[in-house]
Formats: sequence, structure tokens, C-alpha cells
Amino acid sequence: MPKLIKLSGAEAQWADDAFVHVADEDAIPEAGDVILSLTRFQAEGDTLLSSNSRRVGVRIEPAEEVEALAYDLPRLSVVALAFPKYRDGRAYTSARLLRERFAYQGEVRAVGDVLQEQAGFMVRCGFDAFEPNDGATPEAWTKAANRFRHVYQRAVDARPIAADERAQAREGAL
Amino acid sequence: MKAVTANRLIDGEVVFWKEGAWVDGFGDAQLFDDEQGEQVEAAVAAGKAAPTVIVDPYPIDLVTVEGLGLAPVSYRERIRALGPTNELLHGKQAEGGAVVEAIRHASGAARSTGRVDLIRRK
Amino acid sequence: MYQYDVIDREFLTDRSNEFRHQVTRRLAGDLTEDQFKPLRLMNGLYLQLHAYMLRVAIPYGSLNSRQARRLAWVARTYDKGYGHMTTRQNVQFNWIKLKDAPDILDALAEVDLHAIQTSGNCIRNTTADPYAGATAEEIDDPRVWSEVIRQWSTLHPEFSFLPRKFKIAITGALTDRAAVKVHDIGLILRRARDGSLGFEVIVGGGQGRTPYVGPTIKHHLPAGSLLSYLEAVLRVYNRHGRRDNIYKARIKILVAALGAEEFGRQVEEEWAKIDQGRADLGDVELARIRGAFAQTPFETLPARSEAFEAAKAASPSLARFARNNVKPHKKPGYAIVEVSLKAVGQTPGDATADQLDVAADLAERYSLDDLRVTHAQNLVLPHVKLDDLPAVHAALEAAGLATANIDLISDIIACPGLDYCALANARAIPIAQDIAKTFADPDRAETIGELKIKISGCINACGHHHVAHIGILGVDKKGEEFYQLSLGGSGAEDASIGKILGPALPADRVAPAIDTLVDTYLAARQGEERFLDTYRRVGLEPFKEAVYAQAD
Repeated sequence: MPKLIKLSGAEAQWADDAFVHVADEDAIPEAGDVILSLTRFQAEGDTLLSSNSRRVGVRIEPAEEVEALAYDLPRLSVVALAFPKYRDGRAYTSARLLRERFAYQGEVRAVGDVLQEQAGFMVRCGFDAFEPNDGATPEAWTKAANRFRHVYQRAVDARPIAADERAQAREGAL
Repeated sequence: MKAVTANRLIDGEVVFWKEGAWVDGFGDAQLFDDEQGEQVEAAVAAGKAAPTVIVDPYPIDLVTVEGLGLAPVSYRERIRALGPTNELLHGKQAEGGAVVEAIRHASGAARSTGRVDLIRRK
Repeated sequence: MYQYDVIDREFLTDRSNEFRHQVTRRLAGDLTEDQFKPLRLMNGLYLQLHAYMLRVAIPYGSLNSRQARRLAWVARTYDKGYGHMTTRQNVQFNWIKLKDAPDILDALAEVDLHAIQTSGNCIRNTTADPYAGATAEEIDDPRVWSEVIRQWSTLHPEFSFLPRKFKIAITGALTDRAAVKVHDIGLILRRARDGSLGFEVIVGGGQGRTPYVGPTIKHHLPAGSLLSYLEAVLRVYNRHGRRDNIYKARIKILVAALGAEEFGRQVEEEWAKIDQGRADLGDVELARIRGAFAQTPFETLPARSEAFEAAKAASPSLARFARNNVKPHKKPGYAIVEVSLKAVGQTPGDATADQLDVAADLAERYSLDDLRVTHAQNLVLPHVKLDDLPAVHAALEAAGLATANIDLISDIIACPGLDYCALANARAIPIAQDIAKTFADPDRAETIGELKIKISGCINACGHHHVAHIGILGVDKKGEEFYQLSLGGSGAEDASIGKILGPALPADRVAPAIDTLVDTYLAARQGEERFLDTYRRVGLEPFKEAVYAQAD
């Protein structure tokens, strides 16, 4: 079975990837977990989900808005956010909105041009599964994601920001 | 005539191809005449195959400066071969000599000419 | 100035280590140039014509003497003995070696300096009024808010891969010395009628190939809501800014396409959905940041200094310096001193290592350890006692730093141009030097009065030519360097974009053309009009006629 990097706590680990990415022009396999494009999901998702025998994920391209999934999110096991180029940063916003605005609890997966240099940004925006294309290992991913001892701005992760650390230090000093 | 130039990875220095090596001075650059297109391509390919040595190799066109020698056609390439014109003791021009004089006396030609496969880069 | 704490310092150490790791991987061949380039750019390292160029951030243009000395040390140790002040209050070193860059960043981090986000499609160094904390006009200190933004924007997880670079500028004074109307976001501190502090928010100004004076999308943003509102603006831009064409990717294009009103509405809609309690810093942290700016221990002094008045009466050069480079301070007995980096024949904005050391010494001894960099590529000693002005002037004069030409015709802004920059089409520095020589007579320069000339070597407009009283753009015309003149721009509170005068001129005709423009202005000037005022009254035609009639 193919592998992907999954986050558990602050550690990244290899995990089996049960999902198959189904291209729009290909037939949906008879059985097994699938990830579909947004258009395909909107056309065929209901049928697939009602059979209740498999898990379904949706792949969102940068120009597509996660708001389109708002009512489907509880039924989705995976939302895969695509990075056609790693410089295209729209998926970071999509991930944050999924977590912060829609309280999505399923897997948010980074697919496409996914490099370890982005690990810190991705983890902070709420991604928890990664298909890196630079050969990154979970060890490298963990290291890259935790390279900075401090962060300055609130994001999806629960890390205390610099202001929190300072407040804590002040309380400790009292 | 043509030469092949690049910047050295480790320090950014402007370098020129010379028979299998990259040298600092335009005066030492290997010269190719119009019939040697394949050799120019081979030099560029050799540069691209050595990404830990140099960055972005490309050929440049040269002109004859009456009575002085050769110089790059484009003033961008002339500034690369000399150094900045506001600090005449900085860069390659500090050494002085005939090659520097020839390049200084060249005139005309655009930034965008004389560089085959111009790519904007930072 | 803001005192870094252990968190700020550990952050810089981590960043420096990360970059060292990346350079090692690049030199070993584990990263390709295509993969490495964006990483080095996010640390301000460019590959230019002759070498690497390192752009060091000077947050809101503020340095202490230790930092200025460290910059001098870097110039001496790793460069050819000089640094270049940019139009965004940064310092650039032109002769850096890749192998030295990690050591340089370590050395800078020791004095709380860095090159984080001085390039790349991220939120860049926030610039601010160089007179912050010193000018009486000020409603609130913009440095405090710039520091709030510096922290928030540093390695922002959501906004580090924007469609294009993103620049923010802040002023707390009505006189705009930060060019806030030609930034991606410009912030002007204002008090509402009820006395509450807030920002006027301007979005979508900019220069480059499509210059815009930015529209105001919010007249009074409560100060405490700054970060949540910025988050809303950046999110709308990150989602909807164009990514298909690099020349249409700045926020100004999005704002212009939607219209300011619709853009503002989308921002409000997004802002309403943001949990402000989470996004904004609380009052406690805001107060901590304000407090981390060391108090400036001003003395109580008489408003007039007899020593200074006597010295001025005895020294015409001090008197000229006082007229042009000394500005009023909020505290009696103090002055703001501008240090020009525009001596005739000099490269605009360049300072030698020795000059940086002199400026550092003067800042430490006479200016409460505070030195500023301006977007006009000069330095400022913000808190000098009037009594000390004669000594400061003498020390500046000895270092070649006492040129009395602030905002005069020879105080020219110029980008590095084709002498250094890989993007340039033409040189900018020699044109500036030519013009400065043409107007070397300081009496004539004072007669002409305020006249801002700004030169860019390409359409990217780092030299701010669009917002110059006389703008000069270098172009490559059939193999020669040509220069296109434009008139009537302003980057100040009366911001406007200049209009092109006519066909581009060859290099040797630029300075004579400026001379003609000045003569035309002096002949038409009424009363105390500046060049810009006369131009706005009489229009382009008389100037165009004078320059091109002479040409035929």
C-alpha cells in the first residue's frame, strides 16, 4: 500500500494511504477509498457516500473555494488541497478556513508540489497529512516543522505564540 | 564571435568558459567563431551539468573594438566583465590593462542583445 | 528603540541555523538552484551582476549605534567597504559571497538584525516615518505599530506565498515621509473625534509598471484591531490576487479591478468572520511592545540655544546646514538632524564603513543612541540637542557627511541600476552624479528650493521615479541607454503619479534637460512656489516645449 506522512502530535510518521486519487477521466473503482475532484464529487458524491461502504475525499484546486464543501464536510474523510506549484499559497488559506471556520475534523492533506521547506507553514495552517515530492522522510518533516522554537502569530495549531510565552513568563515571575 | 559566461555559485563571481574550466577574466575567455556553434552549446551544457560550480551559463556575442581587441556587445555584459562604472576600482576592472581598455571603449548595443536565451533572473 | 527579548533572539538564531543548513545543502548539490533561489531570496540574498547582494532589514528604519557599527563591520569584512541605503529603509551589500552569507547572518543576529523577508512574495519589512518619536506632528509613534506588524508578519504561515511581494508603510504624522500612498498597504495614525486611536487604511497603491495612488478603504480602524483587519486584507488578496501574470499580481491590480468600494466590502465581510479576540494582540502585549521601546530620556532645555545661534552666525556652512538639514523637534532645545548621503559626485545612498562608524558614534554620543535610515536614502540623527549641533556638524563635515541639501535638487534618489542590478535596463547612478554636478552650486540649489529627483534603472521603479517631482526612468532603446523624464509626481501627503514629458533622451542630454526644466520653473514661479506647485499650476506644456524645442 502507498505511504504518506501523517502527523500525530508534533511527530510525523509514515502511514498507509488507503485512498486512491481518481482522475476525472478515469472510472471510479468498484471498491475502496477514493479522492475525487470537486466537480466529480458534486456530480457523483451522493451516490458514492450513500453506499456507505467506502470513505470519500475531495481534492480542491487553489482556485476552488472550500466554502463549496461547507455542507459536505462532516461526510468527508479527507480534503486534499493541491499545490500545483509550491509558490501558490492559496491552499494555506483553504486549510485554515477548513479548520477554523468550518471546524473540519477530518484529514487535511497537502498534495502536489509539497516540499519539506513548507512543513512549518503547513502544520501551522492545519494540514495533518502530506504527500511530499522531494523525498522527505518523516524525520526530516518533523525536524523542518519544529525548527523554530517560537512563533509570533496565532494559527490553527495550539502552539503558544510569543505573546503567550511572555505573559506566562510574567506570571511565573510574580 | 562568442564567449560563454556564468556566475560562480560559491561567491557569485562572473566567470568565463575556457577549455573545460571557468576562469575569472574576460581576457582569458575561450573565443568561438560563428562556425563553432556546437562547441558553444557544449560549453553551456557542461556548465548546466555542474550546478554546484556555476549558476546559469549562457553565450554572449562579442564585437571587435577598433585597434583594441574584443568586447561583449551588450553594455550589460561589459559591466559584468568590468565591474560597476561608479566604482572604478571595484571588480575585475581594478586590474586595468589592455582588455579592460578595449571593453571600456566599446559602445552601443543593448542589454537584451548579445545574450542568447535571455532569462530575467535575480 | 525596541529591545529584543530572549524570544526574539532565539527566533533569529533558529532562522540563521535554518539558512546555514540550506546553504550547505545547496553547495553539496542536495538542492538545485531552482529550489534554493526562493529560499535565499527569503533571506534577502540575490545573485546580481558581479556577486551576491544581501539586503538587510532595518525595521522601520531604526538602528542603535551597536547595530550601525556591526553594519560597518560587515561592509569592511565581507564587502568592499560600503553599504547602500535603499528606498525601503534597508541596507544592501553588493559584494557578498554565498559561502559567507550564513556567517554574516549570525553576526547580524548578535545585534538583533536580520534579512528575513527582505525579498520573496511575502510581507516585507514595514517602513515608517524616520522622524518617529521626534516630530511634534506625531499623533502616535508608528514604530510601535511597525513592530507589532514585524512580529505578526514574520514567517506568517498563511501569507508567506502570496501572489506577489507585499509592502506596508506607516506614518503617525500628517507630513508623509514614508510614501504610504504608494504602498500595498499604507497606514496613517489618526485620532477620532472621541479621541480614540485608529488608522486610516490605504490599500492598493504602488509603483512598478502600473503606478497607483492607493485609495482609502477604511477611514478609522480602531488601533487594537489592526492585525485582524490586516489578516482580512491579506486573505482576500491571497485568495483572489492574480497568479497568472507576474505583472498583474500585486494587490493594486486586484483593488483596481474590483474597485476600492467592492474590495473594501470584501475585506469587511472577511473581517466580520474573523475571531478578533484570537487574531488581535491583547492590550497587555500591545503595552509590552510599547514599553519595550526604551524611554527617551529627554532633558528639560530652553527652546533657544545661545551657543548654537552664535556658532551659526559665525559659520556660513553651519548656517546653511541648519537651514536645510535641521528640522524641528517635539522637545524644546532638541532638533532632528538629517545626514545627507548625497554629496556631489557620490553614489546616492552609499555610506562607507567609516561613515557608518561616524554616524554610529554621533548617534551614541549626541542622539540618545538612535540612528534612522530614510526612504530618501539618507540618515537621521533624531534627537540632537541644539547646543550640540556645532559639534555634530563639525564631525559630519570631517566625515564628508555634512552636505546641506536635504530635499534640494541634488538630494537625488537612485536605485543601483545596471551598475549592479541583474534586472536593470540602464544605469541610474551616473545620471544622478551628472545632475548633482550640474547643480553643485549650493546657493543656486537653495534658490531652486525643494525639488525631488528620483531615478530608476528599470520599470520596477525601485528609484520611485513615478512619484518624483522630476522622475527619470532608464530604458534600453535599440542598444543605447535612454532616459524617459516625467514631471509632477509626489510620494508625500499630496501623492500623485508623474506624467511623461516626451520622448526618452540619451544619457548625455539628461542633465542639460533638467537644467532647462529648472530655468523654465524659475521663470514661471510665483511667490514661494515649489517646482511641483508651479508644475501643477502651469501644466506640462511649457516644460515640454522648453526641453524639446531646444532639442530640435
